[in-house]
Amino acid sequence: MRFVLISFICFISTWLIAQPNCNVYLWNGDTAQYKACQYLESNIDKYYQFSKNFHLVIDSALLICPRFAYAYREKAAPFVKSGNFIEWKKNIDLAVTYDSLIYLPVRASLRYKFFADYEGALADIEMLERLSPTLVEYTSNGTYHLEVVKALCYKQTGNSAKALSILEKHLLINKETPGLYDLLHLAVLYLHTGRYKEAEEFLLLQNKAYEYADTYFYLAQCYKQQNRMEAYIECKNKSNHLYKNGQKLTDPYNELFDQVYLSDIENL
Amino acid sequence: MDLKLLILLCLFVCCSTSLFSQQTHWVDDILPDSLLDDPTFRICNNEDQVIQYFNSGKGMEYEGDKPALTDIFHKQYKPVTSIGQTGFIRIRFIVNCKGESGRFRMLCSDLNYLPVQFDTKITDQLLAITKSLKGWKPKRWKETEIDYYQYLFFKIEEGNLATILP
Repeated sequence: MRFVLISFICFISTWLIAQPNCNVYLWNGDTAQYKACQYLESNIDKYYQFSKNFHLVIDSALLICPRFAYAYREKAAPFVKSGNFIEWKKNIDLAVTYDSLIYLPVRASLRYKFFADYEGALADIEMLERLSPTLVEYTSNGTYHLEVVKALCYKQTGNSAKALSILEKHLLINKETPGLYDLLHLAVLYLHTGRYKEAEEFLLLQNKAYEYADTYFYLAQCYKQQNRMEAYIECKNKSNHLYKNGQKLTDPYNELFDQVYLSDIENL
Repeated sequence: MDLKLLILLCLFVCCSTSLFSQQTHWVDDILPDSLLDDPTFRICNNEDQVIQYFNSGKGMEYEGDKPALTDIFHKQYKPVTSIGQTGFIRIRFIVNCKGESGRFRMLCSDLNYLPVQFDTKITDQLLAITKSLKGWKPKRWKETEIDYYQYLFFKIEEGNLATILP
């Protein structure tokens, strides 16, 4: 139940962030963008984003204002989901061109997630930091703070030490409000560098927030490495049980960082 | 979204943008092509009822999950040592209600997301392995077994298979 609620809150918050406030354009004296925004707002919810009519609405909004960044982001959305990196990039780049502060985090979070473009995501996050050093930003689906994405991208590009340092610093500042999987990712970094005590500590902390099969898998791995066989068996069994009950890291689009599968658990 | 609503939306369509041909219903639809496709491959429902793999909320579904699929590629793919063979490849296709796959289409780019052509020794291998996969699970929409679009994304680094998604 708790998991469903957390997912729902994430979804709703993402939706709220995603909708532009048309009045902002009016307050800034940008009537073209205001009109395009109003047109989009009144028409876009009627259509599925893969449909022709959805794209007709977007194209009409862009005729009203070709600088309307949000429309390019919406135009890009189905392409990222169909894996069409060429069309996605053309459109998301235009969104970034017209509103870098809003859409750099979006581009960063989609290029790592859908296209394993860790270097590109890091370049986007670093560009955002240069443009606005104090901006606090999350991924477009709300799962991660961009500092966490930065750490995970460094890990994927082979720089685990830098990843660990960024994640430790981020979680020290945000001790009371870690992201959904932040503690797990930190623990896995500790585990893979042989720091079993810290790995165990953060895996147990992750379990206090919510119990995933994946967390128990890494706990089992941690205990196995330390030859604590009773705890290893117990966690492996618990991991197996949770996995079969669907209490695991999951995402409808893509594999998540540090996600494990039943075969990983059984072969541990 | 309800299937009936999806069908109604299609009926609404009266004109097309540059992204769509007269026959396509959704972004990136794959229309049958007698020159490219296996003539024995059939979808079970109408063209406008082919959903995207993520619409079911279960993501990619393959027998043995992703590890089984990646094992096949890592065992069968032979790295191609040829300069400049780095970038992205997507192979998109339809899985029908029986779990059979067909209508394979390929998209390639460099790391800057600009279209490129890879060495055919790479693309032919990836296409052949993808076509040979037999573990796709049929998806259900409410009570109906339905056809769906699936894709496989490959990040190629100097001819090596670096990442497979989703």
